[in-house]
Amino acid sequence: MKKTLIFLALIFSVLPCSYAQDKINILTTTSDLKSIAEFIGGDKASVDSLAKGYQDPHFVEAKPSFMIKAKKADLFIRVGLELEIGYEELIIDGSRNRKIRIGQLGHLDASEGAFLLEVPTTTKVDRSMGDVHPMGNPHYWLDPLNAKIIAANITERLCKIRPEDAAYFRRNLTGFNRKIDEKLLEWKEKLAPFKGEKIAIYHRSWPYFINSFDLQIACELEPKPGIPPSPEHLKRVIGTIKQENVKVILTEVFYDEKPARFVAERTGADVVVVPNSVGGTKEAQDYFSLIDTIIDKLVQGFRS
Amino acid sequence: MRKLLFFLLMLFSAASSLYAETGADPNEIGKLKQDLKLLKSQFEEMRSSYESKISQLESKVEQLTQHPAAAPDRAVEAAQPSQANLGRYFQNFNPDISVIGDFTYHGTDKKDDEQYNQFKVRQAELAFSASVDPYARADLFLHVEPNGGEWNIGLCEGYMTLLDLPVQDLQGKIGKFKANFGKVNRLHLHALPWVDYPNMLTNYFGEEGMSQPGVSASYLIPNPWDKYMELTLEAMNNHNDVSFAGDQGRDMVYVAHLKNFFDITEGSTLELGGSLATGPNDDGHGKNRTILEGVDLTYKWKPLKEGLYRSVVFQNEALFSQKDNVGDDASGRKQVDSWGAYSSLQYQFAKRWSVFSRYDFSEFPDSSDRQDNALSGGITFAQSEYCFWRAQLKHTDRNYGKDSNEIWLQCNFGLGPHRKHEY
Repeated sequence: MKKTLIFLALIFSVLPCSYAQDKINILTTTSDLKSIAEFIGGDKASVDSLAKGYQDPHFVEAKPSFMIKAKKADLFIRVGLELEIGYEELIIDGSRNRKIRIGQLGHLDASEGAFLLEVPTTTKVDRSMGDVHPMGNPHYWLDPLNAKIIAANITERLCKIRPEDAAYFRRNLTGFNRKIDEKLLEWKEKLAPFKGEKIAIYHRSWPYFINSFDLQIACELEPKPGIPPSPEHLKRVIGTIKQENVKVILTEVFYDEKPARFVAERTGADVVVVPNSVGGTKEAQDYFSLIDTIIDKLVQGFRS
Repeated sequence: MRKLLFFLLMLFSAASSLYAETGADPNEIGKLKQDLKLLKSQFEEMRSSYESKISQLESKVEQLTQHPAAAPDRAVEAAQPSQANLGRYFQNFNPDISVIGDFTYHGTDKKDDEQYNQFKVRQAELAFSASVDPYARADLFLHVEPNGGEWNIGLCEGYMTLLDLPVQDLQGKIGKFKANFGKVNRLHLHALPWVDYPNMLTNYFGEEGMSQPGVSASYLIPNPWDKYMELTLEAMNNHNDVSFAGDQGRDMVYVAHLKNFFDITEGSTLELGGSLATGPNDDGHGKNRTILEGVDLTYKWKPLKEGLYRSVVFQNEALFSQKDNVGDDASGRKQVDSWGAYSSLQYQFAKRWSVFSRYDFSEFPDSSDRQDNALSGGITFAQSEYCFWRAQLKHTDRNYGKDSNEIWLQCNFGLGPHRKHEY
């Protein structure tokens, strides 16, 4: 009897482990993809991300500890459009995980089928244009409708990896899409009084967001993407802001606020510092609260 | 009519027998209930699948009907994904090609130095890099360097990395490559955080370090702490003429390196490495050997939020050499024990600006009596990610010759998609 009890105790102690191992290990490059993957994967996936929401996603470093994370991943999800060009290859090669190599089932580019902006139409892109992404602006997750496409991409891939849980993932997708639809109405209503309003931005992270909520970009503090503001350029920005009656300068949490404050002091515009990724501030806990945070702060900025 | 009556009778009798059978078997009812449940769940699954597809289509339609409000002064437009890749198809199979130019002015108070007050294009590096097939990638680095009034082109590194070996966590490398000994030996000139290599490296491995044809295998060691521990074993030609045999060498040099990496906080890391290299230093097949041991310790601090503007790198290496030389005792050999080290601190204080200092101490493989003590300091301005300017001052104190003061002004620029350097 005692032996049976020990045997049972062993079985039960092993069961939770085997259940935990049963989860699909997902590694995303950004925290936004992590948040969406968590909605879809639910309790059948364990999700981690390389970048934190409060760091510049262009400059993530290929730390060897990331290779250990990638080594354990069943699915690696990237934003794509060369946002991760500086570290993805090093991490995947260094992880020695053949499952997540590009072209494998365990590697997903979340931008597949997404609605893209700023795809260069010139015959050649070069670095005189700054840090231009030759395949389009990679900040597409800030359009809530693109979040649906990201979610659908993740769902389809999870269904292929774990067909027996396909119904579960698809139900989660339906729930996610329904919530986006509900929130989209709420978000649009909040920004409706400011329709067509022009704002100044630090970096071109915002065209998708602007496009989704009927706002306009008057100018950028960076003279070209990735090039820090020069005094001469800021003088031009001040002129534009005054001329176009711009009320808000929108900047991300990881950029130096000094140039924006400098311009704000001379124009009376309000500096609005917002996260552009989940986890960028404490309020932005998931994808929905990220957009909530951006919109609430923007509305405050317009009102003040 | 009789036929119809007969048919009805048969039908009722069959129905009653069916009822009797099902009534008699509750398992059958359970099975039917299960089937019904399955049908329901399949229906639910189909419904959710169609709903998701419809909602995707709706969102597409909604987006397409919206007026894109991107800034009008840019040569960009919204595009369908198929267009997004257009223009790259033709180049898809070409390797990534990059060119790096390194231009310096070198001033020194050593008038007999060939570098005395000279402008110099120290190096142009041509790099080619691509996947070979699903199992391997290859990287080639050609260096064009001045040699007197002429220019020489040479293969600095050219190797294929085998990414998909049958043994889990094992990678291989074949070709000519920089030996995985310490940290700085693997760095190309343009990737240095200073203008010049530390004295330790040039005194023990030559002007640009040890790079030889050979084979390499690296393995991620599984460990209970889930930390990055990488063991590399290499065998390479014994053609390094400073610590080893030189061009006449026929035996191999064997190199081992263990790299340990720890995240201290999310913004700071520590790397601790140990290296070992051994090989004959004459062509006597092991009669006179050199053994080198190395230790490297690198601390990096780069807060994630402010990381664009602030960072610190504290990098240290030490190398210990035991070299058999021709001696006059009974064995005909004499062992020279010597060592070298450097300690470097870099501090980034603005997006484009950083300062650095380095202290060098180094003896020589053939003499522990000759010593270099050097102190360097400098400043780097990163014009962009692809171009930097650097100024460096160096004072070297030699116990075997005249001290020297040197100044460098460096401009380094890169074209094309150069593969990023390791962390």
